Amino acid sequence: MQPEKAIRVEHISKTYGDFRAVNDLSFEVYRGEIFAMLGPNGSGKTTTMRMILDILKPDSGKIEVLGGTLTDTLKDRIGYLPEERGLYRNVRVLEMMEYLATLKGLSSGEARKRSQAMLERLDLAEHAKKKVSELSKGMQQKIQFAVTVLHEPELIIIDEPFSGLDPINTLALKDLVLEFRNKGHTVVMSTHQMWQVEEMADRLLMIHQGEQQLYGPVEDIRKQYALHAIIVEGQGNWAALPGVERIETVENGRKGTLLYLQPQTTTDEVLAAIATTRDMSIERFELAVPSLHDIFIRVVEEHEK
Amino acid sequence: MKQHSVQVFLYELRRNLRRKGFLFTTFGIPLLAYVLFFGYQIITNLTAGNEQAPDPAQEILGSDQFATLQKAGYVDLSGLFPSPDEQLGEILAVYPDEAAAAAAMNAGEIDAYYIIPANYLETGDVTLVMPRFSLGQTTDAPVRRLVLSHLARDVDQDLFNRLVNPANIQEINLQRDASGETTSNFDTDFVVVYVFAVALMLSVFTTNGYLMQTIIEEKETRLIEILISGMRPTRLLAGKILALGLLGLLQIVVWVVALLLLANIATGNVIPALAAIANISLPPDKVLILLVYFIFGYLFFAGAYGMVSAISTSMQEGPQYAVIFTLPAVIPLYFVALFIASPDATLPVILSLFPVTSPLAMVMRISITTVPIWQILLSLALLVILDAGMIWMAGRMFRVNTLLAGQTPKLKDIPRLLRG
Repeated sequence: MQPEKAIRVEHISKTYGDFRAVNDLSFEVYRGEIFAMLGPNGSGKTTTMRMILDILKPDSGKIEVLGGTLTDTLKDRIGYLPEERGLYRNVRVLEMMEYLATLKGLSSGEARKRSQAMLERLDLAEHAKKKVSELSKGMQQKIQFAVTVLHEPELIIIDEPFSGLDPINTLALKDLVLEFRNKGHTVVMSTHQMWQVEEMADRLLMIHQGEQQLYGPVEDIRKQYALHAIIVEGQGNWAALPGVERIETVENGRKGTLLYLQPQTTTDEVLAAIATTRDMSIERFELAVPSLHDIFIRVVEEHEK
Repeated sequence: MKQHSVQVFLYELRRNLRRKGFLFTTFGIPLLAYVLFFGYQIITNLTAGNEQAPDPAQEILGSDQFATLQKAGYVDLSGLFPSPDEQLGEILAVYPDEAAAAAAMNAGEIDAYYIIPANYLETGDVTLVMPRFSLGQTTDAPVRRLVLSHLARDVDQDLFNRLVNPANIQEINLQRDASGETTSNFDTDFVVVYVFAVALMLSVFTTNGYLMQTIIEEKETRLIEILISGMRPTRLLAGKILALGLLGLLQIVVWVVALLLLANIATGNVIPALAAIANISLPPDKVLILLVYFIFGYLFFAGAYGMVSAISTSMQEGPQYAVIFTLPAVIPLYFVALFIASPDATLPVILSLFPVTSPLAMVMRISITTVPIWQILLSLALLVILDAGMIWMAGRMFRVNTLLAGQTPKLKDIPRLLRG
């Protein structure tokens, strides 16, 4: 059975003057998943998000959000945190949260109640009466996120939510995002922090120069880009093993040796050879699946070639 | 009005109602006027308590407002003026020769002395001796009074009073006061016209300044993207315009009420400015016209400032562009003297019909004259057309592409932005 769709984008394109920001892009976001949008700066992620939110109109193509064309009522069921964001500087925190929540259809009383609860949750309750300008940048970012989700939106669209946050605050927001996903809310997230996508996202879309490069479940994509190689840790002359083409030391502070296999050699054959060879033992082994970071760089470089 | 506009309206109302600047201009300025007025009243009453008799120097120096002479002397070499009369004697003493007068001045008994030469009757020459130059002591009023009292000593009191003060002029300007039933004078009219004009402009500029400030703040902080992701930009603008317009209206009403109360209290006061206020009469129809012109004048500037805010990227930039609209609108103030002298002359009439200048010009005219109804209706019709155009243009400019742009569009881009 096909999962229910929160967003359906069909062949959208957008041009600014002579610059084609988005070119014939199609994808779907399922309800209840964390969907990551990846791409270098200027790849068209923000433009795509703005078109989904009906802030910008596509030149061509069709977008359906929460089951239909976006209306004012449907907009109240969405929470949006843009990449470049801010708050009124000289307004008190609680008052500003209340105002922005009432714009999303909450009553004044409900907005106040939820704002107070959210401030408690984010350890910011003591700052409720302070002016926004009196808060640190990290606190302001937490409040910006809080404002995005105060009305419990079905669809949360967040552009670079963790940029500029320290590890503690990043963790706090990450927990909140995961909590919303676990409660069945849909999250569309754009980020440059690939390890966050690996940890949090269910599926991803990678765009480069406005065009789709990768699209699908995170694990499937990593496997798709898996090398014909294994990483082993142990003792032995790995280069002498039958079926091994060449070896490399694993980088990035990780332990082990990377064994590149000949095209016709399988992983099972190499493991069997290790087991039957004297003076050779393994403590750990894993398939050499590249990180999203590596895939990202590879895709971008290949596309630019 | 849609829900989003209502929420924006209520929020902007609450937020701007608490602004210190708004509170000061709305309530502080009338309060300050009251403090000054009552302060003056108290000082006047205290002074009046100490001086039961009229100040003889004031009586004699009369309208010479610069005169600071308290006591003077004179030496009469002509023999025509042996002594001053009783009232004049309070401030003018006779001395037998110049040495005695000089001694009195050195002793501080008099501020200055006059020497009337032997051939005074033929030449009219009089010498004034003072310790140092002082503009306030160069008055000839005591000598004029001395001469009058001696030369006209046999005429009766009424005739003498007319010689001293030939006319208390009451002005009827038939061009201005068409009915001939009202009387007014330049000082009073000047204050009235200025009070009305400044009140209207101050309120329009203050509230629209806040409108521009809130929009540019939302652009600067990038909060605008969050706001327009949930509502149409024009609804955001509409909520703000209505909220600040209502606050401007409140400001005008507070000022008018405060002014009327003060005018009531100030009746009979002697300070020229307060006397002018005391003479202000604001019949309900004039108040209504004032409010109507405020509303339509406000809408013109709301459209203009909305457009300026949409294209400006900082609070430094916005007011610079706004001058394009504010400068022509205050043109009537440069011709305030003409408005007072001839409010129905060609230029005041044209300025009160031309929509950019009409709010200020018409308010200036109606504050001192009876403007024909056709002129008011024509002026309002033209103003409404201009307002509709300005609001339409503001709506065209107040769009996503302009609001989210990081830089101000070039002049050549404006027609394209207006086309949409």
